[in-house]
Amino acid sequence: MDWTYIQGILMLAGINMIAVLGLSLLTGFTGLFSFGHAGFMAIGAYVGAWISASPASTPAGLGLPFVLAIVAGGAAAGLVSYFIGRISLNLKGDYFCIATLGFGEAIRLIFNNVNRFGGARGWPGVPSKSSFLAILIADIVAVVFLANLVKSRHGRNMIAVREEELAAQIAGIDVFRYKMISLIISAVYAGVAGVFFAHYMTFIQPKMFSLTKSTELTIIVIFGGLGSISGSVLGAILLTALPEILRAFEMWRLVFYGAAVILIMVSRPKGLMGGMELTPSGIRKVAAERNALREAKAKLLAEGSGEEED
Amino acid sequence: MVQFLQQLINGLSIGSVYALMAVGYSLVYSIMNFSNFAHGGVIMLGAYFGFFGLTLLKLPFAAAFLLASVGTLFVAIIVERIAYKPLRERRAPFLYFIISAMGASILLENLVIATIGPTFRTYPEVFPKAPLELGPLAVGRLDLIIFIISAVSLTLLILFIDKTKLGKAIQAASYNVKACALMGVNTDKVILTVFGLGGFLAGIAGVFFGMKYTVYPQIGNITTKSFIAAVFGGLGSLPGAVLGSVLLGIIETFVAGYLSSQFRDLIAFVILIAVLILRPTGIMGKVTEDKA
Amino acid sequence: MAAILHIRDLTKQFGGLTAVDAVSFDVPEGGIVGLIGPNGAGKTTIFNLITGVYKPTSGSIEFRDRSIVGLEPFRIADMGITRTFQNIRLFKNLSVFDNVLTACHLSANYSFAEAILRLPRFRTQEKRLMAKAEELLDIMGLLGYKDLIANNLPYGLQRRLEIVRALALNPSLLLLDEPAAGMNPDETEQLMRLIVRIRDDFKLSVLVIEHHMDLIMGVCEHIIVLNFGEKIAEGSAEEVSRHPQVIEAYLGTREEATDA
Repeated sequence: MDWTYIQGILMLAGINMIAVLGLSLLTGFTGLFSFGHAGFMAIGAYVGAWISASPASTPAGLGLPFVLAIVAGGAAAGLVSYFIGRISLNLKGDYFCIATLGFGEAIRLIFNNVNRFGGARGWPGVPSKSSFLAILIADIVAVVFLANLVKSRHGRNMIAVREEELAAQIAGIDVFRYKMISLIISAVYAGVAGVFFAHYMTFIQPKMFSLTKSTELTIIVIFGGLGSISGSVLGAILLTALPEILRAFEMWRLVFYGAAVILIMVSRPKGLMGGMELTPSGIRKVAAERNALREAKAKLLAEGSGEEED
Repeated sequence: MVQFLQQLINGLSIGSVYALMAVGYSLVYSIMNFSNFAHGGVIMLGAYFGFFGLTLLKLPFAAAFLLASVGTLFVAIIVERIAYKPLRERRAPFLYFIISAMGASILLENLVIATIGPTFRTYPEVFPKAPLELGPLAVGRLDLIIFIISAVSLTLLILFIDKTKLGKAIQAASYNVKACALMGVNTDKVILTVFGLGGFLAGIAGVFFGMKYTVYPQIGNITTKSFIAAVFGGLGSLPGAVLGSVLLGIIETFVAGYLSSQFRDLIAFVILIAVLILRPTGIMGKVTEDKA
Repeated sequence: MAAILHIRDLTKQFGGLTAVDAVSFDVPEGGIVGLIGPNGAGKTTIFNLITGVYKPTSGSIEFRDRSIVGLEPFRIADMGITRTFQNIRLFKNLSVFDNVLTACHLSANYSFAEAILRLPRFRTQEKRLMAKAEELLDIMGLLGYKDLIANNLPYGLQRRLEIVRALALNPSLLLLDEPAAGMNPDETEQLMRLIVRIRDDFKLSVLVIEHHMDLIMGVCEHIIVLNFGEKIAEGSAEEVSRHPQVIEAYLGTREEATDA
């Protein structure tokens, strides 16, 4: 294995990581499950490619700087998610899930019919602008943004929505608004990931953003552990590398992948990190929680009267 | 007018295949409250079982047909045992079921690619291609047979659910699984039956789908549309699944016939989104008020 | 004393069932009012109507002389009404401290950008929120359990934590839904003292649903009795307990049960 090959895998992992971090906010911290985030990636990919593709080689392109492509791709995905959220965020439980699936697939099918961008055949000629450094910077920004958001009253309000929606309402939290903000941020992340993806592959096709891709993102979030940013980071690296490492087995690697997904769900549903963070403060927090539990148990035993279960 | 009737018959034929698939989604949803996305993989296997029954084993059509449906019955049950039973026992949230289902779907699809290969295969001609002339109408023999067998199978299914003891247990469990378990209903048996029934019909649907179009590992993606039909009709409702499927089949054929075939796949998702906005519980679904 | 909450002809129908039927009552500023009645009398439904979880079919609810009918629950909470739940609804997987800290959010107003860039306003306000959460836990005797995951808290303390979380919103009206459920006489006694203390220390008005008659008779200055969605009596503990309809509908069977 040479460095270019490893670097390629890392870049792909870094791109996936952006989308996974966004989905982590929506799923892990706000408690909403989406099977349509590949659709937001598609929007980012196409809008980004449209902005940056050189009009000399591809007539559909505008030839503007890459930075603008990132901004526009993220913004476009965020805007679309706003309208989707308006009509679907009031749906209960798995119906929201089904709605995102519908929207995700609809977005893909629409791009299938946009001949300007090559339709179903795909669109070559996206400039190769996703450098290792650019992806690394984007990942760092994505992590810091998310970590700071989560550790603020806004993030705590989202977590409250995940934990107990009605209690959150009663605690004065505008549940719909926080769900919406969470959805928009996650869509912007997915859109930005799409821009990087397009400029890494240099060829995009609606097929790349199918339901399978959306599922993959959700699987990574769950694999990493709901409500854990470090889990999402690790999950994105491991689960992007795994199919690549298995590439030697060619045909069988996706069979293993499917089996692994079932195995993870069946055996360790808390995910890699299970809601904890791999940071000094995160570890302290978990230690404090364990300690508190031990003390509480000791206190109950000392009182001699076990509290009745109800 | 002739074109209209022709389209209607086409729509009914494809709609009835959707119905065979959709009831599988709906049955599972009614008991376990999750969307079993592995169902598409089971349908795909049904198409392959039928295909190899006819070509490799040189079975007569009826035997190949039976092989396919009994084969998928077992596949559906095996999927339940491996991917869902442990989650059921742990009372995992519905999302874990969905992800596990997605895993099973990825596994089945790629197992077929790895062992049989990704190529498209065409069913041998079982029924003569020449259409039946009914007055000015030319009805495809295959379409007619598909429609009749589907209608008979669905009727039998509904009779089973309505008349037999096990069927009644399924109905009861769809209202309240926990209460049923307390009343002494063997919920494990109910769940196996539900997967068995869904699997059996998936085999039939797979064979018909393969005969009408072709067989390939990604057939499962198309079955997403039958899932949409189940949502359209009201997830968890059998008559709803049938009605939603037939309507979707007809709407699709008309859109393809009168507008553009490019929009055929898109229309299903447009319907899905419209249903979720206007009436998330579908045409026949129960509307319940939330209790705090 | 002026009424902080005015309820007039409040009615709620579910399909054909009338859960609350033309109920009227007031909660005086600084008062502790009890809402009692047999199961299914519509008590919790009234809480759900006041807090905006349900929309009334007809009737009016005025809080500080402003109608709150049709407002979203979080707006009503913003205005100063908060509650606990009959079936405890804590943020189960969060620590005791985080449960309270989350509910303190109304005492801060830094924006998203300020949070993400960690600007000074975020830092000062966040420090204030933490201090407030800590202080509330201290007052209510839960500081020792600060880092415990709420779900691991003993049952009685979970109910208390729910009250602390409600207090974190700086409410002026606190609705308690069966706060003594599942408690032994000792704990109930403690809870009674706590309710009175909260009222005095935090300058609140309290509306409480309860089945423990000791608690109701002990702390409530005014009692409203419901049966089948209708108000059948109201008055002081003494007046209510002598009311013939009340004895028949509720207290009668209750006393037999306790006598036996």
